[in-house]
Amino acid sequence: MSGKVQTSAATLAGERGAGNRQGGRDGRSFWGAIAASRLYQAFSNALLSSPRRQFAILLAFPVLWVLTQHLGPMLQMFYVSFVDAYPVSRGYENEFTLDNYTRFFGSSIFIMPFFRTLAFAATLTLATLVLTYPVAYFLARHVKRSNQMVFLLLLLIPFWVGEIVRTYAIMILLGNNGAVNLALKWLGLIDRPIPFMYTGFSLSVGIIYLSALYMLLPLYSALEKLPRSYTEAAADLGAGPWTRFWKVTLPLSLEGISSGATLVFLISTGYYATPVLLGGPSTTVFAETIAGFFHTAGDEWPTGAAFACLMFVTALAISLAFGRLMTRLQKGVRK
Amino acid sequence: MTRHTRLVMSMIYWAFVLYIFVPLILMVTMGFKDSKFIGFPIRSWTLDWYVEVFKDAEVLSAFGYSMLIGVSSTLISLAVGIWIAVLLNGRGFIGKGLIYGLTLLPALIPGIISAISFRIYAQLWGIPPGTGAIIWCHAVHNVPFVVLIVAARLSTLPKSHLDAARDLGADPIIAFMRVTLPYLRPALIGGGIFCMLISFDDFVRSFFLGGYQPTLPVLIFAKLRSGMSPEINAIATVVLVLTGLLGIWAERTTRRMKQGKLQS
Repeated sequence: MSGKVQTSAATLAGERGAGNRQGGRDGRSFWGAIAASRLYQAFSNALLSSPRRQFAILLAFPVLWVLTQHLGPMLQMFYVSFVDAYPVSRGYENEFTLDNYTRFFGSSIFIMPFFRTLAFAATLTLATLVLTYPVAYFLARHVKRSNQMVFLLLLLIPFWVGEIVRTYAIMILLGNNGAVNLALKWLGLIDRPIPFMYTGFSLSVGIIYLSALYMLLPLYSALEKLPRSYTEAAADLGAGPWTRFWKVTLPLSLEGISSGATLVFLISTGYYATPVLLGGPSTTVFAETIAGFFHTAGDEWPTGAAFACLMFVTALAISLAFGRLMTRLQKGVRK
Repeated sequence: MTRHTRLVMSMIYWAFVLYIFVPLILMVTMGFKDSKFIGFPIRSWTLDWYVEVFKDAEVLSAFGYSMLIGVSSTLISLAVGIWIAVLLNGRGFIGKGLIYGLTLLPALIPGIISAISFRIYAQLWGIPPGTGAIIWCHAVHNVPFVVLIVAARLSTLPKSHLDAARDLGADPIIAFMRVTLPYLRPALIGGGIFCMLISFDDFVRSFFLGGYQPTLPVLIFAKLRSGMSPEINAIATVVLVLTGLLGIWAERTTRRMKQGKLQS
């Protein structure tokens, strides 16, 4: 650290030290010249005259940004879900209506995909948790700390390959002439290929494949923080491996479970391309229903907006309830 | 832990690695198949599909278009993300928690809902579907990731560095440019690459906000809907190699940064 301090002090003084990457070629550094210029000083004096003004400037842009860019689209979608037409044609006045919401409850074409999506998301979240917990545990507790990054990186590579490419990989794996069917045939277990594709099974495999790492990473960081001495102490007190897991490790990793499950649940309600490519008519998810309203002419948008609001609010409410349950469990643990 | 459980655990880990890699390996293999028909077994091999990809003007222009969108949206996300991170890392103020929550919001909104809310919002501002709309939506979506990575790095910046700069006569802007920004370098490299990759891989936002010109994932999707072909495997393999390598590099940079091994 001391080397760093020296470097920055040297840089500030405008000298070109060994560690100085930014300094100008002429005697005075680039930033030094700027700071000395009259224009900059006028600008600086006007903007930075008091700490209060400095803070106001620092604060204004982020507040404006998050309100207009992060919250704005959601608010606008919420508003549009209550009007009868959007985008409006010239000369037409929007009218307030609840029809977009009542339309949802009127037809099983809409209700079925809605609950199917929630059921899918919940089941797949649980499946992902069960699948990745041992992996995260192994990484955090059994792999040498110096090797952990390599082991983790190995799993993270496919994480950066997009939704479409990974979905395609699953299509090749599970197709009628896919690797799984070929292997089963070769083993003599089947004569005719099993139609895995366009079913709930292929869709589940695909979604777990896409979202497993959102679960793995929070679990890993929670388990990594857990001191080994805790389980050692439990072992000294005579607890067997299962007792140690149920009474010590699992309760203390609830935080990771909670955030991983919330992430996977929310994200898996939003997949669109994967259900289109891997699912069939019997697995239509709500994302496809919502998207349908945006493929057609504009007058269907408000219904699409209303459905999106329903989905988001429900998914968020479930995640919040789950998060609260987890916090309560955690408090129980601390007692 | 006994040796037995350790063995079981490591087997589960490697089984998981197989689950992650086997589909991708199969996909890559299929790109070398000398037949238009996707499926096993593969009897003869060829590189023709790769030649095809590099001759396909549609694919090349989609690739360039995705790169353009990735770079532009990343630059916006970085600028905004740094600003928000500096604010959140500074002194407390009323509503700080709220700003923090709102900052993370885009990362939590499910893909389809984010896409259509931006489609509606773009309409409100009169932004037509197309390049500008996609860049804007990707930029907003990536801000939370930049903020998290930059804030992690900022929290390790010793206050003495800034104090030293102030003592030597730098005003806050100069101090930021000459002390904070250079210190943030690894976070900006790592965060920037993450944004690039997220934008480059994104399908749902580009699909709903795009005009007539497809980004690469949108083009692959369209090709997939009209039928599987080894050419798609070849495109996907190129994307896989590029994003995989960049991803590893970015991940290494940020993880080492968090472990304090990088001194800017």
